[in-house]
Amino acid sequence: MTNQTQAGCGPACGPSCGSTGLCGGKGFLTVKDGLLTNNPVWVQILGICSALAVTTRLENSLVMGAAVIFVICMSNLIISLLRNTIPHRIRIIVEVAIIALFVIVCDQVLKAFYWEMSKQLGPYVGLIITNCIVMGRAEAFALQNPPLISVVDGAANGLGYAIILAVIGAFRELAGTGAILGHVILSPEWYTPNQLMILAPGAFFALGALIALVAAVRGGQEQEAGR
Amino acid sequence: MKANLYIVTYSFVLAMVCALVLTGVGRFTAPYQEANEAADRFRGILEVLSVPFDRADPAEQVREIYRRNVREIEHAELTLYELVPTEHIDVEPAVAVPFSGQGLWGPIHGFISLSPDLSTIRGLAFVYHEETPGLGGEIVSENFRRQFEGKSTVGPDERPGIRILPGTDERGPNEVDAITGATMTSEKVEDMINEALREVLTEHLP
Repeated sequence: MTNQTQAGCGPACGPSCGSTGLCGGKGFLTVKDGLLTNNPVWVQILGICSALAVTTRLENSLVMGAAVIFVICMSNLIISLLRNTIPHRIRIIVEVAIIALFVIVCDQVLKAFYWEMSKQLGPYVGLIITNCIVMGRAEAFALQNPPLISVVDGAANGLGYAIILAVIGAFRELAGTGAILGHVILSPEWYTPNQLMILAPGAFFALGALIALVAAVRGGQEQEAGR
Repeated sequence: MKANLYIVTYSFVLAMVCALVLTGVGRFTAPYQEANEAADRFRGILEVLSVPFDRADPAEQVREIYRRNVREIEHAELTLYELVPTEHIDVEPAVAVPFSGQGLWGPIHGFISLSPDLSTIRGLAFVYHEETPGLGGEIVSENFRRQFEGKSTVGPDERPGIRILPGTDERGPNEVDAITGATMTSEKVEDMINEALREVLTEHLP
């Protein structure tokens, strides 16, 4: 399956793959594209900054993932609805304004109802505005596609991002504190928490290892497709 | 020309709609956010006075615990927070003094609690800071804050104030260790605590 998609649009096609006739208009392919074939984090290497910063614990990763899913879905929806009215010359500004609107709503709601989490995520909720994934989907997909499929695309890409965050967050929390979501898994009697995994270097190790692993698996497939 | 007019109108309408939505959301969430911020102050005061409570308690409950256990004493320009000694007899009486000032990256707010005769420090708590996690942010760590417990509020020369010092020398009765790699934050925290101590000591001692 992966080979077919890539043989059709070529590895150089990159993020715009989702916007061509090949994948557009088909819900399943759009979802698969966002989650696997064109996963924003492990294939496009986007959104790395926040993926490194907020993944100290699984809970933080989940909330951040949910926030990004919400923002991508909503901005894709609105931009897709407005796509025939947005003046081409100022489309980036319009996209940013709409994305910023939903990010600020997210941030305000977190501050009001999820205060402790909001303090832990700090500036990174606000920085979703500059997350290339959100902007990328608006520019590459929502501007050319109808609303419903744009929301599906947003959800798939957001989920693709959220899953990676959750994996890294779970790994770092487990290795760094011996617990998952605050429940002790690795007993402190025989496991000494490696605090390095909670600190910044741990994020680089975890994300690097994950991307290397995926690249190793995909690399073989891409070479086969190339022949 | 017509295209330009369309662009200007379009951006104007978009900006207005965004502003309206954000104003609505801001209005709706403001009271909850204010309650959360106030609860953080209450948590800081309760913590520094060693009143037992659960940090995870919702804002309203924290406020209630605060009301039952803390009495606010207004002085000219200073509000002190005194532990009401009725409910928790095992907690030593203490007075919390607010301090605040500019840290390295942003404002720092906190409370320092003193024995009723104002001679000894009972505890230290930070309510807000923007210091670098792992460096200046370590001011909130137990290791740093615990050092202050039992320290004197005046130096050997009878001048009010504590000292946060680098190095590994033996510490005097009003001296504690600074945070390695966070010299600036340590100095700034020392200054803001001392300002509060001077104010409260000169106002209360003859």
